Amino acid sequence: MKAVAPATVVFLCAGLAPLVVRDAFLLDSLVLVLIWGSAAAAWNVAGGYAGQISLGHSAFFGIGAYAAALIVTRWELSPWLGLAVGALVATAIGLVVGYLSNRLRGPYFVLATIAFSQVLLIVGSRWRGFTAGSEGIPVPFRPGFWTLGIADKRVWVWIALALAVLAYLVQRYLDRSRRGYQLVAVREDEDAALSLGVPARWLKVAAICVSAALTAACGALWAQYIGFVDPFYVFSVDLSVKFALAAIIGGLGTALGPFLGAALITTVETYLRAQFGGLGTGLIGIYLIVYGCALIVMVRWVPHGLVGWIGEGLRRRAAPAAR
Amino acid sequence: MSLLSVSGVSKRFGGIVANRGISFDVEPGELVGIIGPNGAGKSTLFEVITGFYRPDEGEVRLDGARLTGLSPDVVCRRGIARTFQKLRPFQGLTVLDNVMVGALTRTTDVRHARERARELVGKVGLAEKAEAHARTLSTGQRKRLELARGLATEPRVLLLDEVTGGVDQRTIPELVRLVRSLHAGGLTLLVIEHNMRVITAVAQRIVALHLGEVIADGPPDQVTRDRRVVEAYLGLAYVP
Repeated sequence: MKAVAPATVVFLCAGLAPLVVRDAFLLDSLVLVLIWGSAAAAWNVAGGYAGQISLGHSAFFGIGAYAAALIVTRWELSPWLGLAVGALVATAIGLVVGYLSNRLRGPYFVLATIAFSQVLLIVGSRWRGFTAGSEGIPVPFRPGFWTLGIADKRVWVWIALALAVLAYLVQRYLDRSRRGYQLVAVREDEDAALSLGVPARWLKVAAICVSAALTAACGALWAQYIGFVDPFYVFSVDLSVKFALAAIIGGLGTALGPFLGAALITTVETYLRAQFGGLGTGLIGIYLIVYGCALIVMVRWVPHGLVGWIGEGLRRRAAPAAR
Repeated sequence: MSLLSVSGVSKRFGGIVANRGISFDVEPGELVGIIGPNGAGKSTLFEVITGFYRPDEGEVRLDGARLTGLSPDVVCRRGIARTFQKLRPFQGLTVLDNVMVGALTRTTDVRHARERARELVGKVGLAEKAEAHARTLSTGQRKRLELARGLATEPRVLLLDEVTGGVDQRTIPELVRLVRSLHAGGLTLLVIEHNMRVITAVAQRIVALHLGEVIADGPPDQVTRDRRVVEAYLGLAYVP
């Protein structure tokens, strides 16, 4: 129970915020933090728990975004259906990518994932007849819940929160279940895990599939919320790095970490854009430099992320009192 | 019928022949030692038996059923557990969690696996270290951890790669006692060991390898006096 308490507080605050907060900017930030947090949590399932560090997860995010946008614009069906289709397609692609990259370890796996997302970028930006190419797809606004044409940002907070709780619960399952233990064993030492009867190969593929499906769901909701899908954004390496970074900063392999990481990153990014975005093109990319520095600092000095760091602080405080 | 049977196993790496037509059987309840100078092919043989390497020729059977061609995790579930010469505990996990990973191969119930793991951690003498992270253990403790982890998968045959290698002299007798007690409990063991005094003391039978081939197979006193074994270890000058 102790491990769940902080998360309950965090999600409860997010859920109650719309009742108190009226400021559109703050609500908008909250929706984005929840979506990015969910995407980082989805990334964490493969990267943090299973140790399959991917820098190509924007591929799955883009698949979700495109599935939802295309189903709405081409077939005039519900974006919820688009979300489901996106998740299914991402799962299928996760299966293929997971299977093909099964024997790749460490940097080779990372490179394969980057290459994969770039292939999808080319498909998305060149296949004019289907994806509208590099122009991107504006998502039409049709009022209603089934069409996700919701102007009220408070409702968006709750929708994004539902996704966040789902992603959190998937991670909690890994924290305490047999499959979770086995996955962590694979991350720590794949050969040793194999020697103990852990079906490492298919567990890795399964983790990638679940991660892909959740990431696609995030992409689908994001596309409906923002109202526009741009291939150069949704398939970008920047976005993949953002998911990974949020999870690493928050705490790899911890259930709450990705959400804390996403909150921090989104805040800093928004602040930097506001501060330096207006000065012309020169400093617009400064957040990327901050990303890089943050990554170096975290990996070098706070390897267990915010969750590990806070947890250790609390334990140190509690220890003398206990004695 | 013998429990574990290795027949005609050959394994080549490019031009190097690591195993050449190796055959021997292990009977239920036996403790068989494998000896041989460095490069004799002992570890390669272990990798072949456990499914990490696929032999170029020959096959391995457990209780008559073919193991060759199965992946290592399936081989383990069929009943073969191992330790690694170069120890590979899950560094970031606690001792208990390490052993739980093994136990979870035989049960889907996490709580049951934890109880079983606690039992085994006690059995190998690591009870006080149960909550410590594996990376904080000494070499001797890590060997015990790997033993407990392997035992947790409820093997029919346990393969130990270098029980006493890299361990200080005072710890050796304890480890030997542990292996003996496992054997006395009815477990079948196949043990690679460099320390001749240790292996002749615990093994009922010894298989000696040299340059990838079996050069002797029999009771310890017979094998250690075998002309080819002495030659392989010490050189021709020492052969009486």
